[in-house]
Amino acid sequence: MTDTEEPVLTVDDVRHAFGDLTVLEDVSFSADRGSVVSLVGPNGSGKSTLLRIVAGLIEQTGGEVTVAASADRPVGYLPQTPAFRPQFSLAETLSFYGDLAGVDVDVDDRLRRVGLQNVPDRRVDALSGGMTRLLGIAQATVGDPPLLVLDEPSSGLDPVMVEHVSAVVDDLAGEGTTVLLATHNIDAVEQMADTVLVLDDGTIVAAESPTALRERTGADTLTGALADVIERDETASVSVGQRGGAE
Amino acid sequence: MSDGRLRQVRALAQRELDAVVRTRTYLVLVTLFGLAVASVPALGGAGGYLPLVLNLMTPVEVLVPVLAFAFGYQAIRADAERGELDVIRTYPVRRATYVLGVFLGRATAVLAAVLVPLALAATFVPLASQPAPSFLASAATVDDPIYYVRFVSITGVYAVVALGIAVAVSTVARTRREGLALAVSTLLVVVVGLDLAVVGGLTTGVVGPDGLGAALALSPASAFRGLVLAFAATPVAGASAPAPAALPSVVGLFGWLIGTLALATVTVWRA
Repeated sequence: MTDTEEPVLTVDDVRHAFGDLTVLEDVSFSADRGSVVSLVGPNGSGKSTLLRIVAGLIEQTGGEVTVAASADRPVGYLPQTPAFRPQFSLAETLSFYGDLAGVDVDVDDRLRRVGLQNVPDRRVDALSGGMTRLLGIAQATVGDPPLLVLDEPSSGLDPVMVEHVSAVVDDLAGEGTTVLLATHNIDAVEQMADTVLVLDDGTIVAAESPTALRERTGADTLTGALADVIERDETASVSVGQRGGAE
Repeated sequence: MSDGRLRQVRALAQRELDAVVRTRTYLVLVTLFGLAVASVPALGGAGGYLPLVLNLMTPVEVLVPVLAFAFGYQAIRADAERGELDVIRTYPVRRATYVLGVFLGRATAVLAAVLVPLALAATFVPLASQPAPSFLASAATVDDPIYYVRFVSITGVYAVVALGIAVAVSTVARTRREGLALAVSTLLVVVVGLDLAVVGGLTTGVVGPDGLGAALALSPASAFRGLVLAFAATPVAGASAPAPAALPSVVGLFGWLIGTLALATVTVWRA
């Protein structure tokens, strides 16, 4: 990537309120191609709302979200609780989404990437929660969107599965896909994220790499560092760099 | 429509059809409907196509909307409740494309569920050796299979219109419970409520005798009845209860279809 390449995602001064309740306040950041940005924060801090705004599912009250992409499907989305029509197999489900994206999906390849290659004909209602989440990630990549928005991709997964999801996200980023994800799993953040965006009470209070955040706060662990910045309630407007760390 | 849109509509419709075929509840409903339709010529005798039309008209007027609502009232609501509608929205799918695909898939299933039993019921007519005296309606007049063919065709239109209303309900309701309540109340309005409203309007003078036909055509059930009497029971139409004329009935039914699908299209992304 060159320095002149524009960010894949630009969130500029975004505000959002549900009636009188403000859930996001002046949120600004950008993410370059191939970066993994992890959104962390306490319950109710506005993470899922921000992800839904970026995915185009909610129109923000103010500010602007720009996804610089010419793809037919600019944003792939994994909801917090992915679910699919129970009567269909994994292969049928991915083929259906391929038709919506206007592409012929290589089902075997998509399932192999998320580790579900052995169960293409299994019905969706026979999947475990973790496997459904993996199918959700496979679905999110259909149409090769340049930006993936993943809401809790590692929630409810065992440590082996978390490792696996981290590897999938790493691969996708390595291929140039920008990933914006929200998670409560701090281990997953350590494994996956180039940059951590800490959201507290609707505002970004820190934005840097996990290592930089730990060093700056002097905390031994990322959990400690997050607790520290949320307590300090700093605010930041940031540009998130390429894979390898924040700018 | 572009190839891409056509592919999306086909995929959405096929998904709906497959979902219906693979769901046991729907198969039970289809079987019950089939038994109900078959019981009419079996119990009442199939002394001819015209008597069969007259015997089936009222049960079909009530049962077809029930079946169509059962097939359609959760069609979009279920996708929304599961969160899958959000996922679909991240694909380049227009809301009208989504509604059309869902509607066409469910309509194919409903039409099969309604028309096949009606077609099978017609086989009772040539098979019956003698017309059985019946407590149901009978008509000793000119008989012709074309009356029955028209009846089945009009019933197909009626089923599709009822399904359109059900699909609109599935986009308006926000929860499963709300969807069920809205479906039941809308069904009652469609089957009897609008007719009662017209009767009420007639007795209070709001609807005059001249406007009765047009007012009745606003009710899908009355419009169905009007079309059946106009085209499928022509020889006995004059002896029946008041019914709207053919043209207002056609306008009424297609108005409901277009109006409800337009409502579904407008409201679907907020479902």
